[in-house]
Amino acid sequence: MHLLRRIAISLAISVFLMPSARAQEASLQDILQTHIEEIADPSRRTVGETLDALVATGHPDLPEFLTRWQSREAWQRDADGLFVYVEDEDADPLVLLDISTGETVGEAGSREVTQLRPNGGVRRVIGGALVQFQLGAEDPAARLDALEAIGDDPDESHLPLIEARLEVEEDAAIHARLDVLLPTLLIAFAEDDADRVAAIQTLDGNVSLDARSTLNRVLTTSRFVDAELPADINIAAILTPGTGALPRDEAYAMLVSAELAPARISREDQRAVLAANIVEGRVGGVPVATLNTEAARDRAYAALVAEGLTEPIPTEQDVNAALNAHVFFDAYSEPSAIVTEAARATLDNIETRVGAYRFFDLSLDGISLASIYFLAAIGLAITFGVMGVINMAHGEFIMIGAYTGYVVQTLIADYTLSIAVALPLAFLVTFALGVLMERSVIRWLYHRPLETLLATFGISIALQQIVRQIFGTQARPFTPPDWLAGSVTINDVISISSIRIAIFLLGVIFFIALWLILNRTRLGLEVRAVTQNPAMAASMGINPDRINMLTFGLGSGIAGIAGVAIGLFAQVVPDMGSNYIVQSFMTVVVGGVGNVFGTLVGASMIGGLQKSIEWFNPTNTLAAQTYMILFVILFIQFRPRGIIALRGRAAGD
Amino acid sequence: MSIFTQNRSVRIFIGILVLFTLGVTVMSEAYGTGAISVSFTKVLGMTLCLCLAALAMDLVWGYCGILSLGHFAFFGLGGYGIGMWLMTARTEAVVRANLAGGVIPPTEAEVSQATALQIFSVVGAEDWPWMWAASDSLFLSLVLIVAVPGLLALVFGWLAFRSRVTGVYLSILTQAMTLALSLYLFQNDTGLRGNNGLSGLQNIPGADAIGQDRISIWFFWASAVALGLAYVAAAWLISSKFGNIIRGIRDDEQRVRFLGYRVESYKLFVFTLTGILCGVAGALYYPQAGIINPDEIAPIASIYLAVWVAIGGRGRLYGAVIGAAVVSLLSTYFTGGRAPDIALGAFRIEWVDWWPVLLGLGFVLVTLFAPKGLGGLVDYIVRKDRA
Repeated sequence: MHLLRRIAISLAISVFLMPSARAQEASLQDILQTHIEEIADPSRRTVGETLDALVATGHPDLPEFLTRWQSREAWQRDADGLFVYVEDEDADPLVLLDISTGETVGEAGSREVTQLRPNGGVRRVIGGALVQFQLGAEDPAARLDALEAIGDDPDESHLPLIEARLEVEEDAAIHARLDVLLPTLLIAFAEDDADRVAAIQTLDGNVSLDARSTLNRVLTTSRFVDAELPADINIAAILTPGTGALPRDEAYAMLVSAELAPARISREDQRAVLAANIVEGRVGGVPVATLNTEAARDRAYAALVAEGLTEPIPTEQDVNAALNAHVFFDAYSEPSAIVTEAARATLDNIETRVGAYRFFDLSLDGISLASIYFLAAIGLAITFGVMGVINMAHGEFIMIGAYTGYVVQTLIADYTLSIAVALPLAFLVTFALGVLMERSVIRWLYHRPLETLLATFGISIALQQIVRQIFGTQARPFTPPDWLAGSVTINDVISISSIRIAIFLLGVIFFIALWLILNRTRLGLEVRAVTQNPAMAASMGINPDRINMLTFGLGSGIAGIAGVAIGLFAQVVPDMGSNYIVQSFMTVVVGGVGNVFGTLVGASMIGGLQKSIEWFNPTNTLAAQTYMILFVILFIQFRPRGIIALRGRAAGD
Repeated sequence: MSIFTQNRSVRIFIGILVLFTLGVTVMSEAYGTGAISVSFTKVLGMTLCLCLAALAMDLVWGYCGILSLGHFAFFGLGGYGIGMWLMTARTEAVVRANLAGGVIPPTEAEVSQATALQIFSVVGAEDWPWMWAASDSLFLSLVLIVAVPGLLALVFGWLAFRSRVTGVYLSILTQAMTLALSLYLFQNDTGLRGNNGLSGLQNIPGADAIGQDRISIWFFWASAVALGLAYVAAAWLISSKFGNIIRGIRDDEQRVRFLGYRVESYKLFVFTLTGILCGVAGALYYPQAGIINPDEIAPIASIYLAVWVAIGGRGRLYGAVIGAAVVSLLSTYFTGGRAPDIALGAFRIEWVDWWPVLLGLGFVLVTLFAPKGLGGLVDYIVRKDRA
């Protein structure tokens, strides 16, 4: 290993000092030709110096050559010693390719070229040089790839390379990776346990997946069974058969597979044994036709045992005795108890911290889900909450908003600009639709709320179908701009996509804007007056028709803007609205009809609740939704007017 | 029964139903000329079941004023109830036939295990879920078809009416209930085969020798009988004092309460009764449809139920039946691709595509201009007669 280390260190120095511009003047072929002997027939002893010289040139084509050389995919033309790659190893004649340009340089029969076949030792040295070369690459992504490769297949020779790199690395992400990789290698290859424990302790508090998997690897256990506990191994736990960690059947199966006890026979095996011992239509004297009960089969099997034709089935007592006579335990594959203890303590610390981060991450998820519900429901909070109109076409306004975004994007190539245009345009489109709908249908039905439901449902299916006619059933792409596409990652546990942050902000803006409109403007005052008592409002000089029209338009327009936001992360399809309609109504009802603040509270509760239920069973979002709805149904029993209930005259009734 | 002598509409309805049933039978493939194909017989039988569900919807909404947007959940539960028995019995027969070829006859445990594997392997399970416990007994399954929707309606209604959830809120709550149920059924691990649903329900166990032509007409008869009985019972119910009270609740719940009636109990009774009716309708419907999956009880199905009643004319029993029959048969006709497309020069109206638009606008027009629905036409005709 001393040789490797020497090469590695000298390479580490040379790569960083090497001016790359100079190296590219000469072609790789020329450089290789100066070392033609060593490359054609390398020995483990001398190849180090050759590689040293090659790496020192820093030639950009070198990694490719080293990789191919190492995997025996490089060839040499016998006639002039030219190094080449071949297009297809099995072809005849072989097509020779230039090692730099990849262009065809000629053809040759298999006898005219020699494949470079470095032996195992040489290949490892080449591999080390290659890693070294990649670690010094200018592109951070390439350096990270090299580190991942080391992480997948660590080797002692990498240790000095990592140490050297750690001192000069400036990229934060790569530095973080190195911070884990160094202890990983130390744990694996350091000779002194104290060094390894120290390496483990440097990982304390590091919540990255890499750090956790490193520690988990140290704590890998295997399960054993033996007559008594061996003295010389690192025991993780001694198990009692029949407890949660080791069910009784599993314990006995271990005994069987270790050939420490006879197998218990399953019903299927019993059946097979019986089938194999049919003599003249009988098994052990029992007619085959009667073997359709377990009791009859047991009798026949017992008869076979008595005749010595098969093994007896161990009784429960036999099983218990066998289990009691043996000891079951988990043992670490790591022999040193000090190391495993240190790893356990460190990992426990990390897990506690990860738990706290997870909770925080879940809260973020809950908030973001709540803002989606809020955004979807806010328009409804006005049309249903304030005006009392059950608009089943609300989901279709969201859908039309999303399609507006899609159409704008097909016309304006710049994603950021197209969203800036789509937001007000979606408002205008759905505002106009809302006003049209209010004027033509809804205003005739103010005194018949349940029939509004049916009429707007009719509009909803008609709108859905019309959009389906125009745009087809398949999902339309509505892509967020780059600055919205990524996610903000704090560590391996906490990350939130930018689009959800944007939706949260949009929700906040809507909330404030609506609250101000309803409570601080003339329009808001008139809206509240008309909803409470249209006749009185009219006699005070307010035109209820106009106010109703504007309010409904406002609610619809907001649904359109919400549609643009939702379309950015959900699929834009004609029936996307129906995914939101029931939840939106529940949000408004739970929060309390008649005020925007209630909708905010309702959305927070529903979103938070759904995420908390998911916490118990993260894979099953359907179940979370189911239980959330059940909770809402029960909740309404106890607060039929919602969380923020209006009282007195404002409640209307 | 005095209901026949007193109520002309019941006589006319039953008369038409009998004539219709006879007509279909005479034209069926099994017992008549064969003018009506087996699949169309099934469509007609299914339509009768939908009429039965609409009748229940009319009782609860048109007469009692409770706009439930969840009654199709009960319909679906009835379908799942009968589906579990059909699927178990049918699969068990197939499994027995397969295992009979073995050297040693199978035990009951082996048959049951193999049947379960056959049914649930599609969702990666191999054991019987608890809710299938009654599926090997036809009698118990029939009890469940009544008991499960009834119990759900009872518990839900008790909770909702007790806390005086009314009007729009109740509609949204019932909608949430059916959404929760369909989401629950959509999960693969809840025991009803997730989104695969139950299939092969048209194969009646022990009736392999009898062709679908005869089975389809038998189910048609059963549906017609169920509809006829339910119609007479409903007509009797609403012509009694009970009928007056629930109409009173519809028109002014507070006043009826102040008159000393326990409004909640009446509403709960109607809600539960109609839930059971829907369950029975579903149990008759799905063996004809052949397959049931959670999509069937999505909230939109229940809204359609309400729409049928609105179009037919709520508050009159025949209105619900007319609405359900007309709208569902027209939908089948137009979306089945059999309606001729209309060419308008460059533009071509394809019914499959434009039918939902027309239907939707139709709802709007009926609500705006004909609040009495198609049933209103009957008033018009009757008045003309008298004049």
